[in-house]
Amino acid sequence: MKRPRIISIICIVGYLTIVFTFPQVFSPSIKKLGVFMPALYGILVASHFISCVGLWYFKQWGVQLYLLTFFAKTLFFIVIQQYTPGFYLSTGLSFIFIFILLKYYSKMSQNL
Amino acid sequence: MLLVLFKESVLFAWQSLTANKLRSFLSLLGITIGIFAIILVFTIVDSLENNIRGSIQSLGNNVVFVQKWPWSFGPDYPWWKYINRPTPQYYELDELQRKCKSTEAIAYRMGKRRTIKYKSSSVENAIVGGISHEFYKIKNFDLTSGRYFMQTETEGGYRVAIIGAEIAQGLFPYEDPIGKEIKIAGNKAVVIGVIKKEGESMLGPSFDYQVLIPFNFARVMMDPKSENADPIIYAKAKPNVTNAEMMDELTGVLRAIRKLKPMSDPNFALNETSLLSKGFDELFDVIGTAGWIIGGFSILVGGFGIANIMFVSVRERTNLIGIQKSLGAKNMFILVQFLSESVMLSCVGGFFGLLLTWIITALGKDAIEMEISLTVTNVILGFTISILIGIISGFIPAYSASQLDPVEAIRSN
Repeated sequence: MKRPRIISIICIVGYLTIVFTFPQVFSPSIKKLGVFMPALYGILVASHFISCVGLWYFKQWGVQLYLLTFFAKTLFFIVIQQYTPGFYLSTGLSFIFIFILLKYYSKMSQNL
Repeated sequence: MLLVLFKESVLFAWQSLTANKLRSFLSLLGITIGIFAIILVFTIVDSLENNIRGSIQSLGNNVVFVQKWPWSFGPDYPWWKYINRPTPQYYELDELQRKCKSTEAIAYRMGKRRTIKYKSSSVENAIVGGISHEFYKIKNFDLTSGRYFMQTETEGGYRVAIIGAEIAQGLFPYEDPIGKEIKIAGNKAVVIGVIKKEGESMLGPSFDYQVLIPFNFARVMMDPKSENADPIIYAKAKPNVTNAEMMDELTGVLRAIRKLKPMSDPNFALNETSLLSKGFDELFDVIGTAGWIIGGFSILVGGFGIANIMFVSVRERTNLIGIQKSLGAKNMFILVQFLSESVMLSCVGGFFGLLLTWIITALGKDAIEMEISLTVTNVILGFTISILIGIISGFIPAYSASQLDPVEAIRSN
């Protein structure tokens, strides 16, 4: 099945988010939190990116990874207590995206 | 099984990288420069921060400085209000010592640059500090030889001196300074102690370049009322007394000493080291952010370079991918193979970036006489960024390679 336009939009939004969040990995604010915090946050950014690639190819593992990344990222921000407006916006937006993704989940390819 | 798959993929990736040496070199150059730029900035900022924090710490967290001028400079700094203020005086020290209950110690210091001589040797521009007796309770310094002043010496203005390590080295390179008579701006004084070398300080000159003498002896060669002597009263809080509590008491006592009316502005400044820390925090945040932005762009460019090379690599080896797949290679194998190639490329770039940073910091350490060191945190950060860039820039080419149809791939040229 061809990738629906809404999934493409989700992917493009995801890619743009990564462009902006990637520099945060080595930002002084994340660095201050601890030695391994940039690495931890980096893993989350990379898995978000990989999940977007999976969604672009309309694969079920993309949705699974997207969900996993979303929960891990939310947990990360709760642990470091970073309740910025950006956090609320991205969480709200992710909830909408997850709802859309789950709607198309059964139509996605199961292969790698 | 997974380990074998990974090992084989890495081996394939390594062969591909070594087969195209120039291309590999050019693509890792971007990452090298990016990692070098960002880690160098972080290293310099961290080192500066450590040095300055160390210097601030040596001033004492629980010490308040009674001075004419405040340390905090806002945009509406009313300098005209402060210029006519009196400088702290020695008689005020006696009053403060008698009346303040929240302080552990209160000391007075004034200083001026003077020439120190011993026989034919001389040290110019040494800082001569005239101090009150309790100064040692405020400032931490160790003596390598000799002793501190006795109360009778400081109060009686005896002609005795404690010299810094650099002064001792300059005047007495081959003999013991204790008991020797030096001349401070023409005034004779006997050396009774040598301060242990403490190294460079980011906040003003260290004790290494100072000569401490009793206040009553110092007033022979400098005027305590003159602003040039930079007189300061130091007050150290008792344990369990906060700086704020001590400052409240100091304000009250000083206002009474100076006979200030209840509604009039104070004509003194109470400075504390937290003001400096706050100022430097803001400065380091700005420098760190600037370095982060500059380095971020370099890394981004490096990442695009790797992605580009990886796409070329996939296109070049499409035929090979087809053969591998037709011989039973799984999608995962192809994916890991290309991904490990990009991660490896990026890590090698990162390694050279870190190596370059280490070389620059090692050279810079001698040139600027400041402790600069590449920390483990920054090395971890450098490799984290490299791996991350490798994954992000290599994933799309690797994944597209893994999705190729074997028949189509073999047919392609």
